[in-house]
Amino acid sequence: MIQVRNLTKHFGQNIAVDNLSFEVQAGRVTGFLGPNGAGKTTTLRMILGLVRPEKGTATVDGVSYQHLRAPMREVGAVLDAKAYHPGRKARDHLLALAQASRIPVKRVDEVLGFVGLSDVADRRAGAFSLGMAQRLGIAGALLGDPPVLIFDEPVNGLDPEGIVWIRTLMHGLAAQGRTVFVSSHLMSEMALTASHVIVIGRGHMIADSEVEDLIKRSSGTVVRLRTPKTEVVVPRLEAAGGKVETNGDGAIVVTGLEASAIGDIAFQAGAPVHELAAVEVSLEEVFMELTRDDVEFHGGGGGAIP
Amino acid sequence: MTQPMTTQVPTQTIAKSGFPEVGPPSLVDTLRSEWTKLKTLRSTVITLAIAGVIVIGLSALGSFLIAANESSELKHGSLPSPLDTIQGGWGIGMLAFMVLGVMAISNEYSSTLIGVTLLATPKRSRVLLAKVIVFSVTMFVISEVMSFINFFVGHAIISAYPAYPNVSLTTHLVLRVVIGMGIYVTLVGLLGLGAGALLRHTAGAIVACVAFLFILPGILSALPNSWSNPIGEYWPTEAGRRLIVLDHGPNTLSAWVGTADLALFIVVLLLIAGYALAKRDA
Repeated sequence: MIQVRNLTKHFGQNIAVDNLSFEVQAGRVTGFLGPNGAGKTTTLRMILGLVRPEKGTATVDGVSYQHLRAPMREVGAVLDAKAYHPGRKARDHLLALAQASRIPVKRVDEVLGFVGLSDVADRRAGAFSLGMAQRLGIAGALLGDPPVLIFDEPVNGLDPEGIVWIRTLMHGLAAQGRTVFVSSHLMSEMALTASHVIVIGRGHMIADSEVEDLIKRSSGTVVRLRTPKTEVVVPRLEAAGGKVETNGDGAIVVTGLEASAIGDIAFQAGAPVHELAAVEVSLEEVFMELTRDDVEFHGGGGGAIP
Repeated sequence: MTQPMTTQVPTQTIAKSGFPEVGPPSLVDTLRSEWTKLKTLRSTVITLAIAGVIVIGLSALGSFLIAANESSELKHGSLPSPLDTIQGGWGIGMLAFMVLGVMAISNEYSSTLIGVTLLATPKRSRVLLAKVIVFSVTMFVISEVMSFINFFVGHAIISAYPAYPNVSLTTHLVLRVVIGMGIYVTLVGLLGLGAGALLRHTAGAIVACVAFLFILPGILSALPNSWSNPIGEYWPTEAGRRLIVLDHGPNTLSAWVGTADLALFIVVLLLIAGYALAKRDA
């Protein structure tokens, strides 16, 4: 379990991480979401002892990273995909890591096989594609067979096959009971990968919840209703606490009421129902809504392109 | 929470089946890792090979040119001593050791490997200590071998020209100079390592070292004597140079005091670098 308490860090005048507290539980994939510049990487680097917090603590199973007895056997992490010397062979890179952590050398070939790099193990890593680099990074993280795994933007720049591979890997690691903490700025990806998400913006906490709860809580139920007697139904829906918006195509969109309740109200009003459907709100939209005020750089939005 | 009591799961369900519990890593493990890093870089091997060719090649060429033309040179009274002639290639060759020292740590920053290194070994001073030990032992052995080969090649060339004076290892202090060269270039390499660790940037550290080794002493010598003498005498790389010349003139530090001066400076530099490494965000 990863525990973060009141973590705070400035870079110059800018606050990177603002009094952040959360826990990452074992046995599931936890997504760490936020727009670019939200402070995700800084937080991860503080958990891993690479960046020193100004305030607060970050621990893994109650111990700060610097004080772990055998760090790579307790936490595996991939921060930069290409964090290796380009002139060194993949196997030698992992060998140096294994030796530093007193991990048996035979483990190097095991993890190379696991990530599918056995055939290129004796090639210099500088020639690796981004996908191969990610796999090499993951091989390094798995060297120590650690119960806690941390990945910073692991699917960035990967092709669809690579993305699916990483997603499957994370699910597998979590299913083995490990703690898996994955940062991303892509909500759509996390919707498929994570069961729990921690959302931050400008360094502070926005949401810490189950993915399903997050969708429900943030927009409530959204239902589309199509009926020829709109003018009769709308006042009754509003009286029942629904929020109604009219759609251009003649349908109305109701938030705040369950589909069944809306159907009942229409029936009581004697309005024929042509369409009644719960609208799936994508996690992407929830994310945009949550982080609207916390995006560091907004696009010009709607203005003419100069 | 939908996951009660999950914190205990990892240690129970994940068997460390791949390997037995072997205890926490120590300095020995870090040394092993750093040795692997040093020897598995082709650039290390290539740089050392080029250094060997430059040192021995330039020395041999210089020995040949000077010894073959001794008569004309002698008339002008500008003849370098035979040992200086034999060691001539080291002036440029030592730069390779300096660059290797810088690269031993700066390439971890340029490739962001440093983050992974510090994840494996969060005790940062141990990382630097291991780098220093591995680098100095390796470079000392290699530079000593190079120095002896260089001496015998130069000695053999000069022997072909009896008109030019020659020296042998049994000549007074010659053995000290030949062995001393390995010590001196290893220390120059460590200077590079310290600068690389402190500046974390290859080009910046190389420029700083070149300035320290060559440019600043040159500027110092342009100062009035009352200034330049005391500073020049204790300037670490100049003081250390006493070890690699036969005759350093009167009123200067002895060879070993000069070497101690350089070594002390490097120890201080490495301590500062170690402190900075421990304190800074990586």
